[in-house]
Amino acid sequence: MKKEQLNPLLHMDHFSFDYESLDKPLLNQLNFSLMDKETTLLIGSSGSGKSSLSLCLNGLYPEAVEGVSSGNIYYRGKNIQDYQKGELSQLIGIVFQDPESQFCMITVEDELAFTLENRKIAPSEMPERISEALSVVGMDGFQKRKIHELSGGQKQKIALAAVLLLEPELLILDEPTANLDPVSRIEFIQLIKHIQAKQKLAVFIIEHQLEDWLDVVDRLLVLGKQGKIIADGSVTSIFSDHHSLLKKEGVFLPRQYSNAEDSYPTYAESPPRIKQDVLITIKQMGFHRKKHTILQDINLEIHRGEFIAIVGENGAGKSTLLQLMARLLTPQKGTIIFHDKLMDQWEEKELRKRIGYVFQNPEHQFITDTVYDELTFGMKLNGWTTAESDTAATALLKQFHLEKHKYSNPFSLSGGQKRRLSVATMLDETPDILFFDEPTFGQDAKTTDELMYMIEALRKNGTAIVFVTHDMDIVDTVDRAIVLYQQHIHYNGEPESLWKQADLLEKTRLRLPYRIRVLHKEGVSLDLVH
Amino acid sequence: MISSINPTIKAFAIFIPGILLSFTFDMFTPLVYFLFILIVTFTMSDIPFLKWLKIFSPFLLVALSFAWMTILYTNQTFSYGEVLFTLFGIEITRGSMITGISLALRSLCFVCLSILFALTTNSTKFMLSLMQQCKVPPKITYGILAGYRFLPMFREELQILRQAHRIRGFSRTKGLKGRWNQFRRYSIPLLANGIRKAERVAIAMESKGFTGDTDRTHYHEMDVSVRDWLFFTLIVGVFFITVAFSYSLGYLNIFGKQF
Repeated sequence: MKKEQLNPLLHMDHFSFDYESLDKPLLNQLNFSLMDKETTLLIGSSGSGKSSLSLCLNGLYPEAVEGVSSGNIYYRGKNIQDYQKGELSQLIGIVFQDPESQFCMITVEDELAFTLENRKIAPSEMPERISEALSVVGMDGFQKRKIHELSGGQKQKIALAAVLLLEPELLILDEPTANLDPVSRIEFIQLIKHIQAKQKLAVFIIEHQLEDWLDVVDRLLVLGKQGKIIADGSVTSIFSDHHSLLKKEGVFLPRQYSNAEDSYPTYAESPPRIKQDVLITIKQMGFHRKKHTILQDINLEIHRGEFIAIVGENGAGKSTLLQLMARLLTPQKGTIIFHDKLMDQWEEKELRKRIGYVFQNPEHQFITDTVYDELTFGMKLNGWTTAESDTAATALLKQFHLEKHKYSNPFSLSGGQKRRLSVATMLDETPDILFFDEPTFGQDAKTTDELMYMIEALRKNGTAIVFVTHDMDIVDTVDRAIVLYQQHIHYNGEPESLWKQADLLEKTRLRLPYRIRVLHKEGVSLDLVH
Repeated sequence: MISSINPTIKAFAIFIPGILLSFTFDMFTPLVYFLFILIVTFTMSDIPFLKWLKIFSPFLLVALSFAWMTILYTNQTFSYGEVLFTLFGIEITRGSMITGISLALRSLCFVCLSILFALTTNSTKFMLSLMQQCKVPPKITYGILAGYRFLPMFREELQILRQAHRIRGFSRTKGLKGRWNQFRRYSIPLLANGIRKAERVAIAMESKGFTGDTDRTHYHEMDVSVRDWLFFTLIVGVFFITVAFSYSLGYLNIFGKQF
């Protein structure tokens, strides 16, 4: 990147922060500067305090959560505590991760006006400014629309527009694309790139999946598990010099910097599919909510031990299909047959033993007060003796590395542990089929890897696995990909041949996995040589 | 049209007769006023009749049962007059009959006024107007507006929780105790998630420069015009005219005292 003289915009001086006490702080003695007009990317494993850091930067923390801090933060050389209330938040704008909980008004127009009202802009200027900000993010004309009716990608663009109306000098993006489908994600990143180039903002990005950001970023910071910055420098230098360190921290390595052994486990030796062994058959199924058709003409078969990924843009009905297959919803049209018996004829108790379902948010599944009770809950319902369930639970605790947390409250576990526990609770009896609704969402590399290994073990026992996911690199490893688009199944087959259908991918807002993208890139450069 | 009346003025125009009406114990006053509100509802707003009826009809039942209970168990003060008939050994007097019917009519008046307000008022505008006309602090009004967005979220969350617990086999637990435990188990994660989301929204609002300061500009300038006052005068004025009319006819009864 261009090497002009950069001025420090924000400087952290031995800054520590924690929600409770400073004995073992979440952020420990941080020392670093953010430069004017520079784009910095912060990475770190989940739970390392990245989001907390971003809120400390604009002075909302520690006050907003009654946390404790020490050390100082300077903005343009002035201690942030000396700024008036609300003054700093106008200089530093933040776009948050969750598109659902960062708005307070109902319509787009009112939400954007909210920002301007806070800045005490004259009402007569507002319509023009709102339309300007919307056209920057490519959404002019959406003024009167209701925010909750927009897609996730659109919501994030509105959030960005609202923040741009602050006319900030520093823009903080806290995993803004975590909830978005692959194409919306790329669009958002392109948008940031465009805005940065035009408005010369300083940008501070927090991300798990950093691959797509790399060509936007000038500098990389790595926040370690101990709450310290363990690496700071240009992208290339960090990935070549600190490779093993990053891997130990559980950070996602961009593929171009990772070794062969870092990639996802591949299922070259996956058990051959036995055609006769059909678990679920769906015939002519349709589902609608009120007058809104969500799925129609769905025909599908799932076989024993198969690994399937359901993909499609946000709102395509992926989760609905999953819920229908697990009898959490009942279709209005067509039939679902599970093990040669109509789905509705199964007794609830029997069915739940054979079908497992892991929700996007593991917390939703927790029922009891300790990890141990959580594991034995289903066993007790199934009438196991205490001794039996104890043996089984101990084995599960061991298998899922939760022995140390046997008596912890499930809600107090870390993100990865919660995910592991939510899977473990489904395994009291070996289920025939296990459904996962976006299980890798918001997880760091280590947790994702763990999950994939767990799944490999399950499939060896003959359990079929069905994933709903946005992660194309996971889709690349499955036996069969199912693409949902406009209420129908648009593709049902091996991922390998899906990657060849460029039109279909574009139409359904999917993208190629990294493996293929690299091949294409090489292909392009070869063509250029010739 | 009523939907364009300033929401604060509208609220007062509906609140004042609502309160005063609760003192009239005769049949004539609430009946006349009830008819008046019906006329206002169907001539000055574009509320579809069927929609109105859907909301109104359950309250009709409630009002009737109120009346019935009052007729049977009237306070001594109001059970004046001759006995009309006896039911299950309870003597129904003319006074108790009037008090009961009056209560039903009054409740219908409240219902009608409330529907009129609810179906013609945009919640955002109401909050903005409260902030601008009544000087309610922005912290409260924007808090309510943000909370309003939470309601559908709560419903979704509850549905997911139900499904998640069903997967765990939770519907298998039976009995009252099981039900109670189920409620406990739903409420804790619901509340926890609610608090977490509320915190996030609050932080998002603050990070957009919201401080709760009353000194702010307003995109939707909520002003009070002559039309608003005319509406106010109409709704409140007709109430007093009704009272005067019923007084002149000798029907008016306030708290059991005949005028």
